[in-house]
Amino acid sequence: MGRGLEVCAWLLLLSSAVSLARAEERNPFENDEVAIRTGAQLFAARCAVCHGPDAKGGLGPDLTQRWVRGETDESAFRIARNGVAGTTMPPSTAPDNELWAIVAHLRSISVVPALQSTGDAGRGRAVFADDCAGCHQVSGEGGALGPDLTRVGAGRSRAVLIEALRDPSASVALGFRTVTVAMRGGERVEGVVKGEDAFSIQVVTSDGELRAFPKRGIELERSKESLMPVFDTSRLSDTSLEDLLAYLGTLRGAQTNP
Amino acid sequence: MMRVVSIPAALLIAFGVFAQTGGESGVTSADIAAGLADPTRWLTYSGDYSGQRHSPLRQITPRNVNRLVPQWTFQSGTYARGRGFETTPLALDGVLYATGPNGYAWALDARTGRPFWEYRRTLPNDLTYGASAPVNRGFGILGDRLFMVTQDAHLLAFDRRSGVLLWDVVLADYRIGYAATLAPLVVDDKVIVGISGGEYATRGFVDAYDPATGNRLWRLHTVPAPGEPGSETWPTDEAAERGGGGTWMTGSYDPELGLLYWGTGNPNPDFNGVGRVGDNLYTASLLAIEAETGKLRWHYQFTPHDTHDWDSNHVPVLATLRWNGADRRVVMVANRNGFFYVIDRVTGEFLLGKPFTATTWAREIGADGRPIVLNPDGSSGCLPDTYGGTNFNPPSYDPRLKLFFVSARETCAQFSPLEPVFTPGQVSVAGVVWADRDQAFGALRAIDVMTGEMKWEFRVPQPNFSGVMTTASGLVFTGDQEGNFIALDSASGKELWHYQTGTSIWGAAAMTYVLDGRQQVLIPSGSVLFSFALPAN
Repeated sequence: MGRGLEVCAWLLLLSSAVSLARAEERNPFENDEVAIRTGAQLFAARCAVCHGPDAKGGLGPDLTQRWVRGETDESAFRIARNGVAGTTMPPSTAPDNELWAIVAHLRSISVVPALQSTGDAGRGRAVFADDCAGCHQVSGEGGALGPDLTRVGAGRSRAVLIEALRDPSASVALGFRTVTVAMRGGERVEGVVKGEDAFSIQVVTSDGELRAFPKRGIELERSKESLMPVFDTSRLSDTSLEDLLAYLGTLRGAQTNP
Repeated sequence: MMRVVSIPAALLIAFGVFAQTGGESGVTSADIAAGLADPTRWLTYSGDYSGQRHSPLRQITPRNVNRLVPQWTFQSGTYARGRGFETTPLALDGVLYATGPNGYAWALDARTGRPFWEYRRTLPNDLTYGASAPVNRGFGILGDRLFMVTQDAHLLAFDRRSGVLLWDVVLADYRIGYAATLAPLVVDDKVIVGISGGEYATRGFVDAYDPATGNRLWRLHTVPAPGEPGSETWPTDEAAERGGGGTWMTGSYDPELGLLYWGTGNPNPDFNGVGRVGDNLYTASLLAIEAETGKLRWHYQFTPHDTHDWDSNHVPVLATLRWNGADRRVVMVANRNGFFYVIDRVTGEFLLGKPFTATTWAREIGADGRPIVLNPDGSSGCLPDTYGGTNFNPPSYDPRLKLFFVSARETCAQFSPLEPVFTPGQVSVAGVVWADRDQAFGALRAIDVMTGEMKWEFRVPQPNFSGVMTTASGLVFTGDQEGNFIALDSASGKELWHYQTGTSIWGAAAMTYVLDGRQQVLIPSGSVLFSFALPAN
């Protein structure tokens, strides 16, 4: 059976079950694996052209951070139904069950299950305070060089967090890429690139300050190496890693489900 | 071939021949055909019928452009987040006529940016493609009438003095997927328009309307009806009926030949060609259309059987080139598929095709004008993404330098088809595109039209959608995704001046005209229209 037929058959099966669903109600397909698969196909066919196949943005915004920010299935449904006035996001006349399935898919790729760790979150908080808080904020406390981690437990899996600690240069997100600005007078400033155009570059320096430089008269040395130190076992034991993961897993912000 | 300038513009400026005193009322078709000969005017989308967007003005030069300063800004109050303020204002007798996103339009005092009137269309809440592209690229004008298309696929006529709506006709049913965004092209006694909606199961067309009544004079479908020439390039009538081929960018016109040159968009479904085996004429093509009758004279297809959404909705650029010892009337296109083309515009004969971007789609364009495709489905390698090696944003051509200027997009994408689902009013793109964001950048490129080789480039961080305008004084005006409005030296590409407008210059190109003896340069960005000039003293 082709994927299109599979979608049709599934929609037929569930159409009666969701005929009473309304935007104000909970997603009838939350955690429904069949619905999530169908939603993925519908997303690819209708939404990916603007939001990207992985929903991480293109001409349209990144949709995977909505749930991590604490927003709900219902608000996503309303946007899918009504569009966003003054933007290129159109309204939809698709049946409710199709929109709920798309929302279920997006939620499934956005929110990770509660992180499993054998460590102690209390000890992990202390590790964080010693080794991480200089660069990362949680609930407004900490440094500004690295990503805010207030809700990191909702949006990042155990495997992703371990890689970020043990091998931070494996994947460096846009907005945190390393640059060294070399000025004519010999001054060198290291930091992460926050923005740039053809004529200027905006940087958060490694000591956490906001600085901007006109491109004329400087050299830019870009690096694929993250400014985040490598926390290998000599710097962070497996035991401390488990403690830290246990603490990071508690950082889910307003997100409490699933 | 049109004559670009018949009167030395600087002379007119110096003697204040066109100083604004009210002047004659109304625009004739001869005025439009005269192009930019009157330096106080800009009467059609590209400035003249050639599509060159090349102004004869010389007051702002490479030596003084660094003194350019804003004269005023017009805050439109409407915004198309994710797209642009894509209009080219028309200039007539000290008044600017501009359209905006979301069904807005204005007449503005060219000296202050203050509005004489504002129009806002009440749009239905179930728009289809018009909701995804809530934009408009400008008015057409004839007599005292302005012509504008709408997101719900209508064509409107206004009284230019009052903004009163005179007539309103339906181009197509927006609920199926149709919309309209282009600036109408007024040719003789006709208003020529095209249609958007190729991401839906639609069938494109070019129309001509009577400017007095709104009656339709002719329609040319871009996908042939059963039995018509070209229908054999579709496997079934059903596939052709929903075959796409939108016509959503303003074309060009050769008055001597009486031919319109109009680009067509992608076949539908965009990314899956299994159900539409064949070349899918006349999608992703350039059409030469008899303006009087709407008959197709010739066609050239840039991307046969496209599966990448590489619309050919570009402004065709007309010029006369010395080609193998003889003057040839040519039409030039830098295409979304990454190649630059020179075509004989009398016969449609292919003359030149060279890549202006890095692409692994085709090795070359063969002598017969057909691409030698290396990577037909785009499932591997590195192809221009779905927005292409360039897009609809207007290019420009400097006939003295014989350089064609285009915003090039260097992207690296792979395409994965999906099974199409055709539902009226729902997109049927049938695939996804994986783009490598780390490899992408943009560049304004100057192409030698005789060879297709790049003479220089000016790089910007992101692939961009800015249009281009050139002036006879040796300037290129362009923009970038980061918001800069930029002036470059035409001959060398050297950056001479820039101004940060605050948001992307998206789909818009600059226009220029003379007001009270001073050359003005206008660019829309975000929700704002900016007017620049040299200091008064």
